[in-house]
Amino acid sequence: MTPTAGLPDTRGAERAPGLRGWLLMAPLLAWLGAFVIAPTLIMLVYSFCDRDELGQVVFTFSWSNYTRVFDPTYLKILLKSVYYAAITTAICLVVGYPVAYWVGRAPERVRNKLLALIMIPFWTSFLIRTYAWMTILKSEGPLNSLLLYLGMISTPLDILYTPTAVVIGLVYSYLPFMILPIYGSVEKLDNALVEAAFDLGAGPVRAFASVIAPLTRPGIVAGVMLVFIPAIGMFAITDLMGGARVPMIGNVIQNQFGQARDWPFGAALGMTVLLLFAATFWLTTKKDPSAT
Amino acid sequence: MSTDAKEVMVEVRRVTKTFDEFTAVSDVSLEIRAGEFITLLGPSGCGKTTLLRMISGFETPTQGQIFIAGQDVTHDPPYRRDANQVFQSYALFPHMTVKENIGFGLRMKKVPKSEAQERVREAIAMVSLGGMEDRKPSQLSGGQRQRVALARAIVCRPKVLLLDEPLSALDAKLRHAMQVELKHLQQKLGITFVFVTHDQEEALTMSDRIAVINQGKVEQLGDATAIYHQPKTTFVANFIGQANILEGRVVSRAGRKVTLRLEGGPEVTLLADDLPDDATTAMISVRPEKILIRKQREESDNVFEAEIAEEIFKGATDQLMLRTPGGLELWAVVANESARQATVHKGDKVFCHLHFDDIVVVQGN
Amino acid sequence: MKRRLFGLIFLLGIFFGCKEKPAPTPAASAGPGPSGSGAPTADKPKPGKELNLFAWSEYVPQEVIDGFSKETGIKVNYETYASNEEMLSKLLAGGTNYDLIQPSEYVIEALVKQKKLAPIDWSLVPNFKNIDPKLKGLAHDPENKYSVPWMTGTVGIVVNTDKIKDPIKGYKDVFQKKYKGRIVSLNDSREMVAWALEASGLKSNDITPENLAKVKPMLAEWVKLVKVFDSDSPKTAFLNGDVDIGVVWSGEAALLYQNNKKFSYILPEEGAHLFIDSLAIPDSAPNKVGAMMFMDYILRPEVSKLVSEKFPYTNPNLEARKLLTPDQLANPASYPPAGERETFRDIGKIASEVDKLVTDLKASN
Repeated sequence: MTPTAGLPDTRGAERAPGLRGWLLMAPLLAWLGAFVIAPTLIMLVYSFCDRDELGQVVFTFSWSNYTRVFDPTYLKILLKSVYYAAITTAICLVVGYPVAYWVGRAPERVRNKLLALIMIPFWTSFLIRTYAWMTILKSEGPLNSLLLYLGMISTPLDILYTPTAVVIGLVYSYLPFMILPIYGSVEKLDNALVEAAFDLGAGPVRAFASVIAPLTRPGIVAGVMLVFIPAIGMFAITDLMGGARVPMIGNVIQNQFGQARDWPFGAALGMTVLLLFAATFWLTTKKDPSAT
Repeated sequence: MSTDAKEVMVEVRRVTKTFDEFTAVSDVSLEIRAGEFITLLGPSGCGKTTLLRMISGFETPTQGQIFIAGQDVTHDPPYRRDANQVFQSYALFPHMTVKENIGFGLRMKKVPKSEAQERVREAIAMVSLGGMEDRKPSQLSGGQRQRVALARAIVCRPKVLLLDEPLSALDAKLRHAMQVELKHLQQKLGITFVFVTHDQEEALTMSDRIAVINQGKVEQLGDATAIYHQPKTTFVANFIGQANILEGRVVSRAGRKVTLRLEGGPEVTLLADDLPDDATTAMISVRPEKILIRKQREESDNVFEAEIAEEIFKGATDQLMLRTPGGLELWAVVANESARQATVHKGDKVFCHLHFDDIVVVQGN
Repeated sequence: MKRRLFGLIFLLGIFFGCKEKPAPTPAASAGPGPSGSGAPTADKPKPGKELNLFAWSEYVPQEVIDGFSKETGIKVNYETYASNEEMLSKLLAGGTNYDLIQPSEYVIEALVKQKKLAPIDWSLVPNFKNIDPKLKGLAHDPENKYSVPWMTGTVGIVVNTDKIKDPIKGYKDVFQKKYKGRIVSLNDSREMVAWALEASGLKSNDITPENLAKVKPMLAEWVKLVKVFDSDSPKTAFLNGDVDIGVVWSGEAALLYQNNKKFSYILPEEGAHLFIDSLAIPDSAPNKVGAMMFMDYILRPEVSKLVSEKFPYTNPNLEARKLLTPDQLANPASYPPAGERETFRDIGKIASEVDKLVTDLKASN
């Protein structure tokens, strides 16, 4: 009904994406479809199936995998995973925030170098870094040797293969995922706002609590999600640094696809954890009042 | 609030600030009196903002001391100084409402809630922001944000209010209105204002005193008229208003009376107080509007002939470029008093008249 | 046998999408028919040009593969897996047409049950005669139709005799309160349950719900004492000084013994079991002749010796053993005293219960 009807995409901003929009999104949609949606659907289907003697998936409908998920054994493991992930997230936040803040406030030429330093560990394989930590923490490793040499301890500390080692490994692995989003927020933070807070009588602590933290909240939320969620599902560190003594939900799921040969149950566990993540995500984003 | 002109509110004592190799502020001393409106005026990069930030506490002097109300605050952090700043970008907290922004300082100073509410209400009224209390900064116009920033600072009742080019983001009309408003507010509150700007007109409009700053040094400190009429240096003469800077040889000297022969031009006589006895040359500044132009020779301290080489219509005034027979060029400004009145035009031979007082000896930079 | 470690790498590979797959082999038309066991014929059947070998990681030395390719001109694509189960699922998914797989005995049994293996034409594998007769005709392949043993091994106890002086004879001596926090165990539910069954006087394959319930209290105690569960490289914990005693693969124990004679290897008196990793040909293999040529190649004593040197498990090839040094043969972990030993059998669906039992015990730890 308008004379410009022939040019629909000039008004596309508030409407459904036009053909051009879809074309631009196509690679992303294809990627999501192939690597996120399709595997998730496959898992969803598997989670209602059964397994045969060889461990092959048998397509018969059953709720039994889900009833097994709510067995106290697995609930306990899930809770423990959440507990370790929460500790990890808290430490990452406490350690990572000052680093991110400091880097974000550094002069620009220094900033890129500091960021590179944070990224450098990623150039090495994750497993190699984990083994390096095992070497550091072992009974006859450099850390214990140093502490013994300095006379700070008289017998080697028992760190490797303890929950402490797991948390150290998790914090080490996920710290950059906390630092980077917070850094992004800090970098955008107008220094004048911080100065204004100081100027108006706020000491460092209160300036942080009332101005800096609220204004870098998006980075904090992103960092917490990026650490907490994968930390729940992590299995390699628990196996290697924790001596596989305390299984996390990630280990249990991994095991179902490996040794236990029970893909349907593994899928059911995975779907449950996925739902949990989705619920957490929904809760944290819903309660965001600073969205202006 | 004391407005005793003798009381020094802020003292900057031999302060130097260097950043790596660059000296931003170089051995500056400055006394700011209680209740006065002082402007730090200078081009960008001259060090005026650094000086202000050392008073507010965001920078620490490399050398020297800063006193506020007689107290050495050189190494005190901003939050322990009885000074508040209005930032160039306003620096309003985006996650707080107008009311919360204004009340921030009082919360930090732990002012009792009821008193704080009252003071916030007052401040809001003072800057005419009634009805905006619950808006977020993003919902305000530039002028309104400016007022919030102002209210947020004055609600704390600081001894000194530091303003860092607070009007530069506003359009010309609003800026003029705010200049007057700020001046009134300052008079009403009696707070010492330290105002930083690069806009000479703004400085002249509002200030009790102006400190002209160039390359990290105070070139001249004085009230607006002194700065304008008796610039001490070519920089001040040029930076504030327009000036003809002319150089001449000392021809004769009788007490204060000095006669100079200008390069390629006539001789002028002036009253010089600070010209050294042994000076053989001198630089002078002559404001264009001080040159009286007539078609006939009239009685004056100095008279010389010139031709109008250029005429530029400027609305209220005409700007004329004069050329003396010897080739000296200088600018003059005449008022367009009446369109009907015959005035001078390009090509006319005219007589230029200059009073002793209107010729100022300046130091070169 | 770094099974679990490479399981991790494999899974991480999946997550980061960087798992490489060899290109599918073009159908090797020269292979024998689907029956795979063409009767011995006068004109020798020809192999395909490529051989897709799907085997354990860290189990087939590169020089063996290179030697085979050099001699036959057949290109070998060596793809690795980390557990029998991983191999099973990839094989059954049918992505690549593997020519040769390397399952353990209980998996061969399951695959035979499901008719997934091709019988071997022994005329093409004359070196099979080198295999220890005691390893022929076992329960998983009673008629010697489908598999050629690669390496065998036991699961037993390693003791650091510098630290532990008490005589250690069986599982019950390992899992004692006084060794709490000094014990390493394979991270393998089936193994642990088998040890508990053997320690209770039951057979390692007698996995029934009743028997599981019977060993549960014992396992619960054991789990609490263990410092590290590691199937990949349990020797590391010994070498790092983190543990002094444990139950591990014999190959790992052999490497420890090579490193230092203080690490002694003991077969549990309650009963030790044997694992046999063999080569087998999936019935879907396109290059069955090539696969059989490879089997024959590795059965040559000098080739088999290479494998033994790199991975000191028990070599089932008697001719190859003759080429080993006395030192290698004297390694008690590689060549423990002869005895009757059970092998794992396919237990079908109850594997899930085994896994749940151990997970449960670890979680309540």
